[in-house]
Amino acid sequence: MILLVDMDAFFASVEQMLHPHLRGKAVIVCGDPDRRGVVTAASYEARPFGVRAGMPLAEARRLCPNAEYVEGDPSKYVEKSLELLELFLTVTPDVEPFSVDEAFLSLVGLAGRGDTLESASVIARDIQRRIAEQHGLGASIGIGPNKLIAKMASGLQKPKGITALDEEGFRRTYWPLEVQELWGVGPKMSQRLNQLGIRTIGDLGNAPEPLLQRTFGMIGPQLRQAAWGRDQTPLVPYHEGVDPKSMGHEVTLPEDCRDAEFLEGTLLRLADQVARRLRSEEFAARTITLKLRDFRFHTITRQKALPVAVDDHLRIFDTARALWKANWKGEPIRLLGLSASALEKRGESGQIELFVSDERSKALQQALDKVRDKLGEASVVPAGALTHRRESGHVPFGLMKRKDPTPLSKERDTKDTKRRLRGDPDDPA
Amino acid sequence: MFESLNDPVDVLTAFVDGAMRPIRFRWQGRVVRVAKVTGQWNRREGQAVLRYFAIQGPKEESYELCYDARGAKWVLSRAWTGPA
Repeated sequence: MILLVDMDAFFASVEQMLHPHLRGKAVIVCGDPDRRGVVTAASYEARPFGVRAGMPLAEARRLCPNAEYVEGDPSKYVEKSLELLELFLTVTPDVEPFSVDEAFLSLVGLAGRGDTLESASVIARDIQRRIAEQHGLGASIGIGPNKLIAKMASGLQKPKGITALDEEGFRRTYWPLEVQELWGVGPKMSQRLNQLGIRTIGDLGNAPEPLLQRTFGMIGPQLRQAAWGRDQTPLVPYHEGVDPKSMGHEVTLPEDCRDAEFLEGTLLRLADQVARRLRSEEFAARTITLKLRDFRFHTITRQKALPVAVDDHLRIFDTARALWKANWKGEPIRLLGLSASALEKRGESGQIELFVSDERSKALQQALDKVRDKLGEASVVPAGALTHRRESGHVPFGLMKRKDPTPLSKERDTKDTKRRLRGDPDDPA
Repeated sequence: MFESLNDPVDVLTAFVDGAMRPIRFRWQGRVVRVAKVTGQWNRREGQAVLRYFAIQGPKEESYELCYDARGAKWVLSRAWTGPA
């Protein structure tokens, strides 16, 4: 069996655990509470007011004016997440951290223990108890024969629930529900499925496979299998790891902005953050994607493939700026995002080295990286990015998104990561 | 509300079995006794590791102290200053 341990309202719960005066109160974790941004996490006490992660902070304040607004600090959540990983590893060596507050545990190698829903439930209860006793936190646990069922089951009873489903139980529970409830189906895919007359997960399970294949390509048959509760996605233990598929950053601006200089400075800063991360993990990217969200919350993404892989901020910035100039019509912008994909390990492609033919630039870049490694990210920044800094002076969250390798997982990851981590004025993209 | 301060403070610190623990600190002319350390975590800034402590004072008020080993300096990074 597979378990998915999902920490309940993780960021808010960590704040409540560290600061007893917050316990029992509506707690909203966000970026700088004095600036515009979105809700990163809301405690269970805040949720009856309608506050949800991803909601604009101004809306949260209207709904729940008496909540405690706490500026989040990713380092404390990451540290707690690593402590929880240590706990999970005492149960099984096969642990896949799925996000900062979720982890898959495989019980397959436990010599018969945990191979039924009942025995896995006993293990899950023990994990839940230890998390509460040792860390003062709550967790909900889903149990199933695969990652898909474990993941979806974990959301059925929150907080502090344990839900175990086999394939039959999965179908009984989920077939009547809207197709968007299926893990991996986002709003756009849901819309396309609805256009085919597929409204529920049961409809998807009974849809003709050739139709799904024609409409969605290789993902089509996978979707149908998922509707039946079948999933072959392997659990990748944390020590094996997977290469990231993309790296990105996005920022919600302090206020809607049509100042070209400010927007360009912000883009430069994002390019610098993305390039720095690429270099630190020894990657280079062949595709650059720009994300623009205007004051009406209308979002577009535009991307450009490059002839060679790049890892320096100026080339990333040039590409992003060209995309921006081609697509920005002067409307006030709420959010800017930049991501790099089609990643290659440095050195795998000789063209990376050829492209950075200017040895002086390369030496300068390496020297600047050394300074930042030693003194921190804020020690040296591109001068053009100071346009942004002048306005905000805000230390970014700086988390990066990693995507799973399979197409369906990719869709799932986007949905989940955005839901869980979207929140700070500097969101992980 | 939690107020971000980053005020330099003097902290009486105990080192026991390789672990450090704030005992009391002086802030705004008064001495606050650390009744309980509720958690600790680290944050990197380049090569430097900043060590954070979430603590409670004697009246269950909350603070976060940060130790920067580069200059052996403490700052009071956040304090609970009562309802907003």
